[in-house]
Amino acid sequence: MKRISAIAAATAALFAGQAIAADLNICVEGAYPPFSETTSSGDIVGFDIDIANALCAEMGKSCEMVQSDWDGIIPALLEHKCDAIIASMSITEDRMKVIDFTNKYYNTPARFIGAKDAGLTDTPEGLKGKVVGVQRGTIHQDFMESEFPDVELKLYGTQDEAYLDLQAGRIDAVMADSVAMDEGFLKTDNGKGFAFFGKGYSIPKYHGEGAGIGIRKGEEDLKKAFNAAIDKIRASGQYKKINDKYFNVDIYGG
Amino acid sequence: MFTVIEYAPLLGRGALVTISVAVLSLVLATGLGVLGAAAKLSKRGLWRSVGMGYTTIVRGIPDLVLILLIYFGGQRLVNDIGSTLGFDYIEVSKFWAGVISIGFIYGAYLSETFRGAYLTVPRGQAEAAQALGMKTIATLWKVLVPQILRFALPGYSNVWMVLVKSTAVVSVIGLSDLVGLADKAGKSTRQQFWFYLAVLLAYLFITIISEHLLKRLDKRVNRGIPA
Repeated sequence: MKRISAIAAATAALFAGQAIAADLNICVEGAYPPFSETTSSGDIVGFDIDIANALCAEMGKSCEMVQSDWDGIIPALLEHKCDAIIASMSITEDRMKVIDFTNKYYNTPARFIGAKDAGLTDTPEGLKGKVVGVQRGTIHQDFMESEFPDVELKLYGTQDEAYLDLQAGRIDAVMADSVAMDEGFLKTDNGKGFAFFGKGYSIPKYHGEGAGIGIRKGEEDLKKAFNAAIDKIRASGQYKKINDKYFNVDIYGG
Repeated sequence: MFTVIEYAPLLGRGALVTISVAVLSLVLATGLGVLGAAAKLSKRGLWRSVGMGYTTIVRGIPDLVLILLIYFGGQRLVNDIGSTLGFDYIEVSKFWAGVISIGFIYGAYLSETFRGAYLTVPRGQAEAAQALGMKTIATLWKVLVPQILRFALPGYSNVWMVLVKSTAVVSVIGLSDLVGLADKAGKSTRQQFWFYLAVLLAYLFITIISEHLLKRLDKRVNRGIPA
């Protein structure tokens, strides 16, 4: 009998992973720079992780980051392998059927870019007679057609083709996600001489709800605590400090 | 390319996880394979149906589905049992979920390998041993097993080669194996091509070393047999 219980204990020990010591375990991904990336020492760093730590400190809870694969990240939450997902997950209706979200913690705004010295403005008058490039079939095309119906649009299959035509002077401006354009164009050699103009747009009707923190359904207290903490780090300037470490634009969105 | 070199220690750790998962799975699969073959060769109908059920079901489902089922489904089972019994949360480890899934799958393939090898040994061998007065254990160990090994080794080597590569599926449950780490590092540095190339070479290295060792083992079990 003694031997059987010893075997049972040993088996249980094999199956059991690390003891859960932290108040909250947070699933993070590590393959989406600069929000979440894996360093050469195997640590996960990035905007998501800094925000997670700031929120935990604000709530006065100890948190542990659980590395998770994107495909398995929602099951991991549902089976209590972690208590929250902070992995740049967009709030969508399909996901809301399975899990719950806090308010957004960012929603990278869409913006215009154009030549630095062109003096363009983002009003219907300012863009009169100008040609704006957008990627075909995107939310940015919908946005332009509805909000700037009189501006001439040129549609591209990929974002890169739009950049090429902008450099060649065939179009005056490009409208797309600000972070994508900053990382993919403005910060590269090709992007020299070009800059953002106008304000950032994040209108839920076109641009979605943004990225929220995923939690299990029915955990209202945790949701409230996270929402309050997001508001607090926005107000205290902690958010801005983290934001500016990674981005030239305020990615919280309007 | 230089980024890959910077990440080499991390990838090395991943390779170690891959090799550990593969070796432990092989040990488990060998055990299950022997049991499975014994069940299928049993004189009792019940054992034969158990062995048949095991090989039919397991060989018929994809590795990926089984690993997700064991890791997430197993966790739900543990959670449900735990909450009924009033235990705290018990974590099903990624590593052991991976080893058990892969061992369980390849055990079914090895059952067939071992069963086939057993049947290839002529019946007369066992009868002759018994006629010489050898006990059952001695017959098995001294006469049958050396011959079974000889017939089973080619199939066994094959299963090992496939098994090593199928360990890549453990990365879906977030285990930091070679493929999982290389994928994350590749995306983090935007140099996925170089990282996948490194993974390819690492797997090739593992399989070439295995092939060499298996060849030596093959010589050993076939000693005394003219080529």
